[in-house]
Order: sequence, then C-alpha cells, then structure tokens
Amino acid sequence: MTTSTPRFRLGRLLVAGCLLLAGSLPLAAADNPTPAQQQAERQQTQPGNNAPVWREVRSGDSFFTTNRGPEAGVLIQSEGDTWRHLRNGPVTFYGGILLMLVAAAILVFYKIKGPLTLHDAPTGRLIQRFPRYERVVHWLTAGSFVILAVTGLTMLFGKHVMIPVIGHSLFGYLMVLGKNVHNFVGPLFAASLLAMIVIWARDNVWQNIDALWIRKAGGLITGEHVPSGRFNFGEKTWFWIGVTILGLTVSISGFFMNFPNFDQTRNDMQIANIVHSVSAIVMLLLAFGHIYMGTIGAHGAFDSMKTGYVDETWAREHHEQWYNDVKAGKSGHPQG
Amino acid sequence: MARMKFLCDTERCIECNGCVTACKNENETPWGVNRRRVVTVNDGVPGEKSVSVACMHCSDAPCMAVCPTDCFYKTEEGVVLHNKDACIGCGYCFFACPFGAPQFPNGPAAFGVRGKMDKCTFCAGGPEENGSKAEFEKYGRNRLAEGKLPLCAEMCSTKALLAGDAPVVSDIYRERVARRGKAGEAWGWNTAYGKPEQAQERTQERAREQNREGAK
Repeated sequence: MTTSTPRFRLGRLLVAGCLLLAGSLPLAAADNPTPAQQQAERQQTQPGNNAPVWREVRSGDSFFTTNRGPEAGVLIQSEGDTWRHLRNGPVTFYGGILLMLVAAAILVFYKIKGPLTLHDAPTGRLIQRFPRYERVVHWLTAGSFVILAVTGLTMLFGKHVMIPVIGHSLFGYLMVLGKNVHNFVGPLFAASLLAMIVIWARDNVWQNIDALWIRKAGGLITGEHVPSGRFNFGEKTWFWIGVTILGLTVSISGFFMNFPNFDQTRNDMQIANIVHSVSAIVMLLLAFGHIYMGTIGAHGAFDSMKTGYVDETWAREHHEQWYNDVKAGKSGHPQG
Repeated sequence: MARMKFLCDTERCIECNGCVTACKNENETPWGVNRRRVVTVNDGVPGEKSVSVACMHCSDAPCMAVCPTDCFYKTEEGVVLHNKDACIGCGYCFFACPFGAPQFPNGPAAFGVRGKMDKCTFCAGGPEENGSKAEFEKYGRNRLAEGKLPLCAEMCSTKALLAGDAPVVSDIYRERVARRGKAGEAWGWNTAYGKPEQAQERTQERAREQNREGAK
C-alpha cells in the first residue's frame, strides 16, 4: 500500500518521535557523569581542584580500603554528631527530669492518699489468682526488668550522678560488670516478655465493665472499689502500652545494639540507641506506677503475686466480676 | 604548649599503607585492630585520591562526650587518650566518631562483647607511667614522652602524613599549597578542630604561629 492517509502519517510521526526520544536517552545520561568521571574530567580542566572527591567523601559513601573493619571504607560520618547531641541533650535532660518528677509525684500521692485498703474484714478464705507458671513468668520479667533498668540508668546517668560520688575507677569497674549484665540479661527479658504477652493477652481484652473503671478513674481518687474482670483497665493499659508496645520496642531496638554482628551500620545503632533509651524511660515511668500499686499502693496486691492467692474479700472488692465468675465455677478469663 | 594535630596531604598520599604497617608494628596492636587506615576515593580512575585516617584528636571530641564511664581524657598537648581499665566496650565512641577511629579487638561480637576499645594515641601511650611495660601492653609505644612524633607520619615516604604541633604542620602545608597554587583542603580539619567553641584555641594557635614567623 503506497497511499498515505493522514492517519497513517500521524502513526509514522509518532514512531519517529519515540525513536528520537529513545535516541536522546544516552545523551541525557552523559549530562550526569558519575563523581569518578567528574573528578577525572576536573583533573584535565582544573588540575588540583578536587571538589568532586570531597563531595563524594561528604556523602558518607564507602570507598576502597584494605582495612576489613566495619564501615572502614567510609571516611566520615556526620550522623554521629546528631546522635551525640540527641543523647547527651534532650534524652538525658528530659529523661532525668521526668523520672524524678514521676517518682516524686507517686510519693506525694502516697503521702496524701495512703494505700488502698480493704473496706470489709478479710474472710480468711483464699482464692487462687495466679497459678505458678504465671508467677514464674511475672518474676522472670520483673526481675530482669529491674536489673536492666538499674544498669541501663547507670549507663545514661551514672556519669553525672555516680562518678562525682564514687569516682572514676570504681565506677569503671562496676560498669564493666553492669554493661555485660545488661547485655546478657536483655535477651532473657525479651524471652520472658514474649511469654508474658502470650499468657495474659486473653485476660487483657476490652470488657464493657472497663468503661465504668475509666468513668470512675479506677477509684484512685475517691477510694471506692470499682468492679472489674480479672484485670482492671489500669492493668490493661500497663499491659498493652507498657509491656507489649514499649517492651517489644525496647527488646527489638536492644537486639540491634546487642548483636552488632549482623552488618548493621553505625547509623542503625544510633537510631536504635535513641529509640531504646526513649522507650525504656517511658516504660520505666509507667513501671513506677505498676510497682507502686503492686507493693505499697494496694494492700494484698504483692501477696497475690508472691503466693498466688488472695483473700475472697480482696477479690470481691478489687475484681468483682472475676470473683463472681470464679465463684460460679467459670474460668475467670474474659468470655468472648 | 603544643597542640598536636594530624594532616594528610591528599596530593601526596600514594596509598602505600606504610603508615598502617608502621603503626601496627610500633604499637603491636592485636589482630584485627588497625588504628590507622588508608581509604582511596575513585580507586583506579584518573584523579583518584587517597586519605590516611586515624583518630584526629578532635578539639571537642565526640567520643569523650558520649562515653558512659567518662574514660577519656585530653593531654596538655591536645591528644585524646583513654583509660582502658574503665572502658566497658559499649561502642558508643564508635557510634559518635566521625572518622571511624575507635577499634575493638573482638570486632562487632554478639552480646556486644567487643573488648576494650583501642585507638590511635598519637603515640602518646595512656594513663600508666610513661614508657612502662603496662602502658606498652595496653596502649602501645609512648614516643611523645621520648620526644619523638608518631611513627606513621615519621615513616611516611612521601611526607603526605604530617603530625605535630598545629602551627608547624599548618606552616608546612601552607607552603606546599602556595608552591603548587592549589589543592589546599586540609581534610577533616573542619570536623575535628573547626567548631565555633574552639575559636579561642585557634586564636592562640595563630598567635603562636605569628611568633614563629617573627622568630625566623
């Protein structure tokens, strides 16, 4: 067919246009030479001007070296400076202030309100609240948490708080121990944390009775006993935000730093360090509340986790729904 | 009092790694620990540049600032040293250092068991008695106490690597730059010594430099 309709001509024009565009692509690439090409060219046009090299060095890329150390090919990394100022600045300053403020606030609350006590006399009849495996998991998590908290806090604040008192040498020796304890107990905490999430997740689901607890603020101010299931809404908040979210965040970011043998970069570990310290401090703030309620804040609470048993009066006044369920022969776990 | 600094002239460095070997031999550092390394940018391409880098003994040293046990100290000559007895091997100095200077004998080991940090001492040893056996075993040779400069720079075949009092080092370098009329980047100096807080230190150095000029 030799006739050429306008439509056919348009098609040929499009094809030609595409070919032209495709042909121009290598030209466009030549406009953006690699830094190495730029440097080679610069040596011809302006010998001694090494600007392309310094631009490359500044980018933080890795270059050739016979050294086999981690990131040895990187000449300069500027993220370390950002990390230094975040850690030594806001994390240390605001973290320290918050820890002192919350601890002080809890003490003041205790001085003013005193502990939660039972309204009625104990019956003397005991009812099982925590079976042995739950107590083992709880104390494994709690024990490792306290060890990690003490060693971790020393890592961040010891320089400012302890060195002026006990001096550099003793502090150094203690910290050699502290750091190794922190690094080896960490994985134990992570494992017991996972076990804890598994065994208590079903008891911490939302129940309609929790709305009542929120409305009355748990009776913390009025002192009245608000009915709840096996765990009240306060305990559930601690479980989901403190234990689950923050606990997992702390564990995962901890693994990044504790096992540097997976080729992670300094930048990865700087980010992990900031995430780790911030979430650990927030978790500790919440833990202050939990430890307070579990020890001096509420009579009978510590014994329940120590022995596994509570008095029936305690069960009825603190966890009425759970008490009724258990009395009725049910499991006590929230029913779907 | 002198202010010790390193300077690597990239127009002269030929990537022979002599400084790396000299350092390793003089200080008898453990396997895997290289206090100094040479990095080549655009290796094999015309115009490639090599830089020999170790601890720069920064004015406002980040390692010093982040160390949880505060085991670093600065000598009167501006050399950043550390006390290995107080080092816990946490790796924070390595996170913070712009130059990748801190080294660990066990490398990035599981459970963070890196061992005591090791880095360039500007051949100035550590807190132990100068020239003692204990000092040598932990930190290597204390050449500064013997009136000698770091061996890496002393051994440098092209005199690309300069070590010594800042005004002297700058003088040599300035003369070179003036003679060749180009390539005047003293690499790393801005990061290591260029922070605003060190303005006073730099003024003092300049004054000492002018005194030297006057004495000539």
